[in-house]
Amino acid sequence: MWWRRLIVALLAMAYLEVLVVVGVSYFSGLKQAVVWPPKVEGAAVADKDVLRVQRNIQGLQRRIASLQPRGVYIVVDTGENRIYVKKGNEVVRQAVVSCGSGDVLQDPTGKRKWVFDTPRGEFYVKSKITNPYWVKPDWAFIEEGEPIPKNPDDRVEAGSLGDYALGFGDGFFIHGTLYTRLLGRNVTHGCVRVGDDDLKEIFKIVPLGTKIYIY
Amino acid sequence: MKNAARWILVLLTAVAGAFGQEQDKAALVRTQQELAAESDLAKEPRFYFILDVRRKNLELRVKGMTLRSWKLRSMRFWGKPAFSKTVQLVRRSTLNPPQRNVIKPGEAATAKDPANFELEALELKDMPRSFSLEFDNGLHVSVRAENSGLRGLAEEFAWYGVLPVRNFFRSRNGKPMSELELKFENEKDAQAIYWIFFEGIKGLVY
Repeated sequence: MWWRRLIVALLAMAYLEVLVVVGVSYFSGLKQAVVWPPKVEGAAVADKDVLRVQRNIQGLQRRIASLQPRGVYIVVDTGENRIYVKKGNEVVRQAVVSCGSGDVLQDPTGKRKWVFDTPRGEFYVKSKITNPYWVKPDWAFIEEGEPIPKNPDDRVEAGSLGDYALGFGDGFFIHGTLYTRLLGRNVTHGCVRVGDDDLKEIFKIVPLGTKIYIY
Repeated sequence: MKNAARWILVLLTAVAGAFGQEQDKAALVRTQQELAAESDLAKEPRFYFILDVRRKNLELRVKGMTLRSWKLRSMRFWGKPAFSKTVQLVRRSTLNPPQRNVIKPGEAATAKDPANFELEALELKDMPRSFSLEFDNGLHVSVRAENSGLRGLAEEFAWYGVLPVRNFFRSRNGKPMSELELKFENEKDAQAIYWIFFEGIKGLVY
Protein backbone atom coordinates (compact mmCIF):
# COMPACT_ATOMS: atom_id res chain seq x y z
CA MET A 1 0.00 0.00 0.00
CA TRP A 2 1.44 3.38 -1.04
CA TRP A 3 0.06 5.28 1.97
CA ARG A 4 1.73 2.86 4.37
CA ARG A 5 5.02 3.48 2.65
CA LEU A 6 4.37 7.22 2.84
CA ILE A 7 3.74 7.04 6.62
CA VAL A 8 6.90 4.97 7.14
CA ALA A 9 8.88 7.46 5.03
CA LEU A 10 7.45 10.42 6.98
CA LEU A 11 8.21 8.71 10.32
CA ALA A 12 11.74 7.94 9.17
CA MET A 13 12.21 11.57 8.09
CA ALA A 14 10.87 12.85 11.42
CA TYR A 15 13.18 10.48 13.26
CA LEU A 16 16.16 11.63 11.18
CA GLU A 17 15.20 15.25 11.81
CA VAL A 18 15.12 14.64 15.58
CA LEU A 19 18.52 12.97 15.34
CA VAL A 20 19.92 15.91 13.36
CA VAL A 21 18.53 18.49 15.83
CA VAL A 22 19.82 16.57 18.84
CA GLY A 23 23.18 16.02 17.12
CA VAL A 24 23.63 19.63 16.02
CA SER A 25 22.54 21.01 19.37
CA TYR A 26 24.72 18.55 21.21
CA PHE A 27 27.81 19.53 19.28
CA SER A 28 27.03 23.25 19.40
CA GLY A 29 26.76 22.85 23.18
CA LEU A 30 29.98 20.92 23.29
CA LYS A 31 31.71 23.62 21.25
CA GLN A 32 30.62 26.21 23.80
CA ALA A 33 31.43 23.95 26.71
CA VAL A 34 35.05 23.34 25.77
CA VAL A 35 35.85 27.04 26.01
CA TRP A 36 34.63 27.30 29.60
CA PRO A 37 35.94 27.70 32.23
CA PRO A 38 38.35 30.00 30.40
CA LYS A 39 42.00 29.14 30.72
CA VAL A 40 44.49 31.62 32.03
CA GLU A 41 45.92 33.11 28.90
CA GLY A 42 47.46 36.18 27.34
CA ALA A 43 49.78 38.84 28.64
CA ALA A 44 47.16 40.48 30.83
CA VAL A 45 49.63 42.80 32.49
CA ALA A 46 52.78 44.52 31.30
CA ASP A 47 56.10 43.67 32.96
CA LYS A 48 56.38 47.11 34.53
CA ASP A 49 52.96 46.68 36.19
CA VAL A 50 53.57 43.29 37.81
CA LEU A 51 54.91 44.82 41.00
CA ARG A 52 51.93 47.17 41.26
CA VAL A 53 49.49 44.28 40.83
CA GLN A 54 51.31 42.27 43.51
CA ARG A 55 51.10 45.23 45.89
CA ASN A 56 47.38 45.60 45.12
CA ILE A 57 46.82 41.93 45.92
CA GLN A 58 48.61 42.23 49.26
CA GLY A 59 46.60 45.37 50.05
CA LEU A 60 43.33 43.63 49.26
CA GLN A 61 44.27 40.60 51.35
CA ARG A 62 45.10 42.90 54.28
CA ARG A 63 41.84 44.80 53.82
CA ILE A 64 39.78 41.57 53.88
CA ALA A 65 41.70 40.23 56.89
CA SER A 66 41.06 43.50 58.75
CA LEU A 67 37.30 42.95 58.44
CA GLN A 68 37.43 39.75 60.49
CA PRO A 69 36.42 40.06 64.15
CA ARG A 70 39.17 40.51 66.70
CA GLY A 71 39.05 38.25 69.73
CA VAL A 72 36.46 35.52 70.15
CA TYR A 73 33.28 35.26 68.11
CA ILE A 74 30.38 32.83 67.95
CA VAL A 75 29.22 30.85 64.92
CA VAL A 76 25.91 28.97 64.94
CA ASP A 77 25.05 26.39 62.28
CA THR A 78 21.25 26.10 62.53
CA GLY A 79 21.06 23.13 60.15
CA GLU A 80 23.60 21.00 61.99
CA ASN A 81 22.56 22.45 65.38
CA ARG A 82 26.10 23.33 66.40
CA ILE A 83 27.62 26.30 68.15
CA TYR A 84 31.29 27.21 67.80
CA VAL A 85 33.21 29.75 69.82
CA LYS A 86 36.18 30.71 67.66
CA LYS A 87 39.22 32.90 67.82
CA GLY A 88 40.62 33.49 64.36
CA ASN A 89 40.44 30.10 62.70
CA GLU A 90 40.78 28.20 65.95
CA VAL A 91 37.72 26.62 67.55
CA VAL A 92 37.88 27.41 71.26
CA ARG A 93 34.69 25.54 72.20
CA GLN A 94 31.98 23.72 70.29
CA ALA A 95 28.71 22.19 71.39
CA VAL A 96 25.52 20.56 70.16
CA VAL A 97 22.56 22.91 70.44
CA SER A 98 18.89 23.19 69.48
CA CYS A 99 17.81 25.87 67.02
CA GLY A 100 14.48 27.07 65.63
CA SER A 101 11.90 24.50 64.54
CA GLY A 102 10.67 26.48 61.53
CA ASP A 103 7.08 25.84 62.68
CA VAL A 104 4.35 28.37 62.04
CA LEU A 105 1.78 29.58 64.57
CA GLN A 106 -1.23 31.61 63.59
CA ASP A 107 -3.13 33.76 66.08
CA PRO A 108 -6.75 32.42 66.16
CA THR A 109 -7.94 35.95 65.30
CA GLY A 110 -5.88 35.66 62.10
CA LYS A 111 -4.15 38.97 62.72
CA ARG A 112 -0.73 37.69 63.75
CA LYS A 113 1.56 34.94 62.57
CA TRP A 114 4.86 33.69 63.97
CA VAL A 115 7.53 31.64 62.18
CA PHE A 116 9.85 29.96 64.66
CA ASP A 117 13.12 30.27 62.80
CA THR A 118 16.41 31.18 64.41
CA PRO A 119 17.29 34.50 62.79
CA ARG A 120 20.26 34.38 60.43
CA GLY A 121 22.95 36.95 59.93
CA GLU A 122 25.41 38.95 61.98
CA PHE A 123 24.49 39.82 65.57
CA TYR A 124 26.36 40.63 68.75
CA VAL A 125 26.00 39.77 72.43
CA LYS A 126 23.84 42.56 73.83
CA SER A 127 23.26 41.17 77.31
CA LYS A 128 24.65 38.57 79.68
CA ILE A 129 22.22 37.37 82.32
CA THR A 130 22.72 34.97 85.22
CA ASN A 131 19.64 33.05 86.44
CA PRO A 132 17.45 34.51 83.72
CA TYR A 133 13.67 34.68 83.89
CA TRP A 134 11.60 34.14 80.82
CA VAL A 135 9.01 36.79 80.13
CA LYS A 136 6.61 34.73 78.06
CA PRO A 137 5.49 36.47 74.88
CA ASP A 138 1.94 36.24 73.48
CA TRP A 139 2.75 33.30 71.20
CA ALA A 140 3.70 31.13 74.20
CA PHE A 141 0.14 31.44 75.55
CA ILE A 142 -1.51 31.07 72.16
CA GLU A 143 0.54 27.97 71.42
CA GLU A 144 -0.62 26.39 74.67
CA GLY A 145 -4.21 27.42 74.10
CA GLU A 146 -4.22 29.64 77.17
CA PRO A 147 -5.58 33.20 77.51
CA ILE A 148 -3.02 35.99 77.27
CA PRO A 149 -2.60 37.44 80.81
CA LYS A 150 -3.29 41.10 81.45
CA ASN A 151 -0.92 41.27 84.42
CA PRO A 152 2.76 41.37 83.22
CA ASP A 153 3.84 39.43 86.33
CA ASP A 154 1.88 36.41 85.09
CA ARG A 155 4.20 36.20 82.12
CA VAL A 156 7.35 35.64 84.17
CA GLU A 157 8.64 32.08 84.37
CA ALA A 158 11.75 31.00 86.25
CA GLY A 159 14.04 28.08 85.43
CA SER A 160 13.11 27.35 81.83
CA LEU A 161 16.07 29.29 80.36
CA GLY A 162 18.70 27.51 82.47
CA ASP A 163 21.41 29.24 84.50
CA TYR A 164 22.71 31.70 81.91
CA ALA A 165 21.49 33.62 78.88
CA LEU A 166 23.23 35.67 76.20
CA GLY A 167 20.82 38.05 74.51
CA PHE A 168 21.35 38.99 70.89
CA GLY A 169 18.31 41.16 70.24
CA ASP A 170 14.58 41.03 69.50
CA GLY A 171 13.97 38.63 72.39
CA PHE A 172 16.38 35.99 71.06
CA PHE A 173 18.83 34.34 73.47
CA ILE A 174 21.49 31.68 73.64
CA HIS A 175 20.33 29.97 76.82
CA GLY A 176 20.14 26.71 78.76
CA THR A 177 17.49 24.02 78.51
CA LEU A 178 15.50 21.49 80.49
CA TYR A 179 15.14 19.32 77.38
CA THR A 180 18.73 18.12 76.96
CA ARG A 181 17.64 15.00 75.08
CA LEU A 182 16.47 17.27 72.26
CA LEU A 183 19.88 18.88 71.77
CA GLY A 184 20.87 18.37 68.15
CA ARG A 185 17.28 18.76 66.93
CA ASN A 186 15.46 21.81 65.62
CA VAL A 187 12.92 22.34 68.32
CA THR A 188 13.04 25.91 69.67
CA HIS A 189 10.99 29.01 68.96
CA GLY A 190 14.07 30.76 67.55
CA CYS A 191 16.45 30.85 70.52
CA VAL A 192 19.58 28.71 70.65
CA ARG A 193 19.45 26.18 73.49
CA VAL A 194 22.74 24.89 74.86
CA GLY A 195 23.52 22.15 77.44
CA ASP A 196 24.42 23.33 80.96
CA ASP A 197 28.18 22.65 80.97
CA ASP A 198 28.78 24.09 77.51
CA LEU A 199 26.65 27.14 78.29
CA LYS A 200 28.57 27.83 81.48
CA GLU A 201 31.87 27.71 79.58
CA ILE A 202 30.60 29.85 76.69
CA PHE A 203 29.17 32.39 79.13
CA LYS A 204 32.59 32.62 80.79
CA ILE A 205 34.59 33.00 77.55
CA VAL A 206 32.36 35.43 75.70
CA PRO A 207 32.32 39.15 76.61
CA LEU A 208 29.55 41.63 75.84
CA GLY A 209 29.74 42.84 72.25
CA THR A 210 31.01 39.51 70.89
CA LYS A 211 29.99 38.99 67.27
CA ILE A 212 27.56 36.17 66.52
CA TYR A 213 27.21 34.71 63.02
CA ILE A 214 24.17 32.53 62.51
CA TYR A 215 23.55 30.61 59.27
CA MET B 1 73.79 16.69 15.68
CA LYS B 2 74.35 16.89 19.42
CA ASN B 3 74.65 20.69 19.15
CA ALA B 4 71.39 20.95 17.25
CA ALA B 5 69.59 18.91 19.91
CA ARG B 6 71.08 21.11 22.62
CA TRP B 7 69.91 24.28 20.81
CA ILE B 8 66.42 22.87 20.39
CA LEU B 9 66.31 22.03 24.11
CA VAL B 10 67.44 25.54 25.05
CA LEU B 11 64.86 27.07 22.70
CA LEU B 12 62.06 24.89 24.08
CA THR B 13 63.01 25.78 27.66
CA ALA B 14 62.99 29.50 26.78
CA VAL B 15 59.57 29.25 25.10
CA ALA B 16 58.14 27.25 28.02
CA GLY B 17 59.58 29.76 30.50
CA ALA B 18 58.07 32.72 28.65
CA PHE B 19 54.71 30.96 28.43
CA GLY B 20 54.84 30.17 32.15
CA GLN B 21 55.56 33.81 32.98
CA GLU B 22 52.60 34.98 30.88
CA GLN B 23 50.41 32.46 32.71
CA ASP B 24 51.66 33.73 36.08
CA LYS B 25 50.95 37.33 35.08
CA ALA B 26 47.44 36.52 33.92
CA ALA B 27 46.82 34.57 37.13
CA LEU B 28 47.98 37.61 39.12
CA VAL B 29 45.48 39.84 37.39
CA ARG B 30 42.75 37.31 37.95
CA THR B 31 43.60 37.03 41.65
CA GLN B 32 43.47 40.81 41.92
CA GLN B 33 40.04 40.92 40.28
CA GLU B 34 38.71 38.14 42.50
CA LEU B 35 40.00 39.76 45.68
CA ALA B 36 38.61 43.15 44.67
CA ALA B 37 35.18 41.58 44.09
CA GLU B 38 35.36 39.69 47.38
CA SER B 39 36.48 42.81 49.23
CA ASP B 40 33.26 44.54 48.13
CA LEU B 41 31.18 41.63 49.39
CA ALA B 42 33.11 41.22 52.64
CA LYS B 43 32.54 44.88 53.58
CA GLU B 44 28.86 44.13 54.22
CA PRO B 45 27.84 42.17 57.33
CA ARG B 46 26.19 39.54 55.15
CA PHE B 47 26.97 35.98 54.16
CA TYR B 48 28.25 35.38 50.66
CA PHE B 49 29.52 32.40 48.73
CA ILE B 50 32.50 31.66 46.56
CA LEU B 51 32.15 28.96 43.93
CA ASP B 52 35.63 28.16 42.72
CA VAL B 53 35.01 26.24 39.53
CA ARG B 54 38.65 25.41 38.91
CA ARG B 55 39.24 23.95 42.37
CA LYS B 56 35.74 22.43 42.52
CA ASN B 57 35.04 24.05 45.83
CA LEU B 58 32.09 25.94 47.27
CA GLU B 59 32.43 28.11 50.36
CA LEU B 60 30.13 30.12 52.59
CA ARG B 61 31.89 33.20 53.92
CA VAL B 62 31.31 36.31 55.96
CA LYS B 63 33.80 39.16 56.35
CA GLY B 64 36.39 37.12 54.48
CA MET B 65 36.10 34.18 56.91
CA THR B 66 35.15 30.78 55.61
CA LEU B 67 32.28 29.40 57.68
CA ARG B 68 31.62 26.24 55.70
CA SER B 69 33.15 24.62 52.73
CA TRP B 70 31.99 21.82 50.44
CA LYS B 71 34.11 19.84 48.04
CA LEU B 72 32.31 19.05 44.80
CA ARG B 73 32.45 15.49 43.59
CA SER B 74 31.95 16.58 40.02
CA MET B 75 30.81 19.55 38.01
CA ARG B 76 29.67 19.96 34.45
CA PHE B 77 28.10 22.68 32.40
CA TRP B 78 26.25 23.55 29.26
CA GLY B 79 26.57 26.82 27.48
CA LYS B 80 29.13 29.46 28.13
CA PRO B 81 28.62 31.12 31.48
CA ALA B 82 30.52 34.37 31.86
CA PHE B 83 31.23 35.70 35.35
CA SER B 84 32.78 39.08 35.64
CA LYS B 85 30.94 40.42 38.66
CA THR B 86 28.94 39.47 41.69
CA VAL B 87 25.89 37.25 41.17
CA GLN B 88 22.79 37.17 43.34
CA LEU B 89 20.51 34.21 44.01
CA VAL B 90 17.05 35.07 42.72
CA ARG B 91 15.20 31.80 43.23
CA ARG B 92 15.58 28.32 44.67
CA SER B 93 13.34 25.76 43.04
CA THR B 94 12.64 22.11 43.62
CA LEU B 95 9.92 19.61 42.77
CA ASN B 96 8.98 19.01 46.41
CA PRO B 97 9.78 22.07 48.49
CA PRO B 98 9.90 21.40 52.24
CA GLN B 99 6.71 22.32 54.08
CA ARG B 100 6.53 24.06 57.42
CA ASN B 101 4.51 22.47 60.17
CA VAL B 102 1.59 24.65 61.26
CA ILE B 103 0.96 24.50 65.02
CA LYS B 104 -2.63 24.28 66.17
CA PRO B 105 -3.13 26.41 69.29
CA GLY B 106 -3.38 24.13 72.29
CA GLU B 107 -1.60 21.17 70.76
CA ALA B 108 1.66 22.18 72.47
CA ALA B 109 0.08 21.27 75.82
CA THR B 110 -0.27 17.59 74.80
CA ALA B 111 3.20 17.67 73.23
CA LYS B 112 4.65 18.40 76.66
CA ASP B 113 3.82 14.86 77.72
CA PRO B 114 7.11 13.02 77.02
CA ALA B 115 5.31 9.77 76.19
CA ASN B 116 3.34 11.42 73.38
CA PHE B 117 6.00 13.82 72.21
CA GLU B 118 6.74 13.67 68.54
CA LEU B 119 9.01 16.32 67.09
CA GLU B 120 7.48 18.10 64.11
CA ALA B 121 10.01 20.52 62.77
CA LEU B 122 11.70 21.60 59.59
CA GLU B 123 15.14 20.04 59.80
CA LEU B 124 18.12 19.54 57.54
CA LYS B 125 16.99 16.00 56.70
CA ASP B 126 13.74 17.43 55.26
CA MET B 127 15.59 19.55 52.70
CA PRO B 128 15.60 18.40 49.06
CA ARG B 129 18.59 16.49 47.73
CA SER B 130 18.12 17.87 44.26
CA PHE B 131 17.20 21.45 43.39
CA SER B 132 18.04 24.45 41.23
CA LEU B 133 19.41 27.87 41.96
CA GLU B 134 18.68 30.73 39.58
CA PHE B 135 20.90 33.76 39.57
CA ASP B 136 20.30 37.32 38.41
CA ASN B 137 22.69 36.99 35.46
CA GLY B 138 20.72 34.10 33.97
CA LEU B 139 22.94 31.40 35.40
CA HIS B 140 21.07 28.26 36.36
CA VAL B 141 22.78 25.92 38.81
CA SER B 142 21.52 22.40 39.50
CA VAL B 143 22.64 21.00 42.83
CA ARG B 144 22.35 17.30 43.57
CA ALA B 145 23.89 14.40 45.37
CA GLU B 146 25.35 11.52 43.39
CA ASN B 147 22.40 9.39 42.29
CA SER B 148 22.32 5.91 40.90
CA GLY B 149 19.56 3.72 39.43
CA LEU B 150 16.52 5.17 37.71
CA ARG B 151 16.96 8.64 39.15
CA GLY B 152 20.54 8.75 37.92
CA LEU B 153 19.42 7.59 34.47
CA ALA B 154 16.73 10.28 34.32
CA GLU B 155 19.30 12.92 35.24
CA GLU B 156 21.66 11.71 32.52
CA PHE B 157 18.83 11.77 29.97
CA ALA B 158 17.93 15.32 30.97
CA TRP B 159 21.56 16.37 30.76
CA TYR B 160 22.45 14.74 27.46
CA GLY B 161 19.04 14.73 25.81
CA VAL B 162 16.94 17.67 26.95
CA LEU B 163 19.52 20.32 27.76
CA PRO B 164 21.36 20.24 24.41
CA VAL B 165 18.10 20.78 22.55
CA ARG B 166 17.09 23.61 24.88
CA ASN B 167 20.53 25.08 24.53
CA PHE B 168 20.30 24.91 20.74
CA PHE B 169 16.97 26.72 20.52
CA ARG B 170 17.86 29.30 23.16
CA SER B 171 21.15 30.05 21.38
CA ARG B 172 19.20 30.63 18.17
CA ASN B 173 16.93 33.07 20.02
CA GLY B 174 19.96 34.97 21.25
CA LYS B 175 19.56 33.75 24.84
CA PRO B 176 22.25 31.11 25.21
CA MET B 177 21.99 28.87 28.24
CA SER B 178 24.41 28.87 31.08
CA GLU B 179 23.75 25.77 33.10
CA LEU B 180 26.03 24.43 35.79
CA GLU B 181 25.53 21.15 37.58
CA LEU B 182 27.19 20.60 40.94
CA LYS B 183 27.27 17.07 42.32
CA PHE B 184 28.16 16.18 45.87
CA GLU B 185 29.33 12.90 47.32
CA ASN B 186 27.01 13.16 50.27
CA GLU B 187 23.32 14.05 50.00
CA LYS B 188 23.63 15.95 53.28
CA ASP B 189 25.90 18.45 51.51
CA ALA B 190 23.23 19.22 48.92
CA GLN B 191 20.64 19.54 51.69
CA ALA B 192 22.89 21.90 53.65
CA ILE B 193 23.24 24.14 50.61
CA TYR B 194 19.47 24.34 50.24
CA TRP B 195 19.24 25.18 53.94
CA ILE B 196 21.92 27.86 53.87
CA PHE B 197 21.56 29.49 50.45
CA PHE B 198 18.67 31.85 51.01
CA GLU B 199 17.20 33.91 48.20
CA GLY B 200 19.13 37.16 47.86
CA ILE B 201 22.53 35.77 48.87
CA LYS B 202 25.33 37.20 46.77
CA GLY B 203 28.45 35.47 45.65
CA LEU B 204 31.25 35.02 43.19
CA VAL B 205 31.69 32.26 40.65
CA TYR B 206 35.14 31.97 39.16
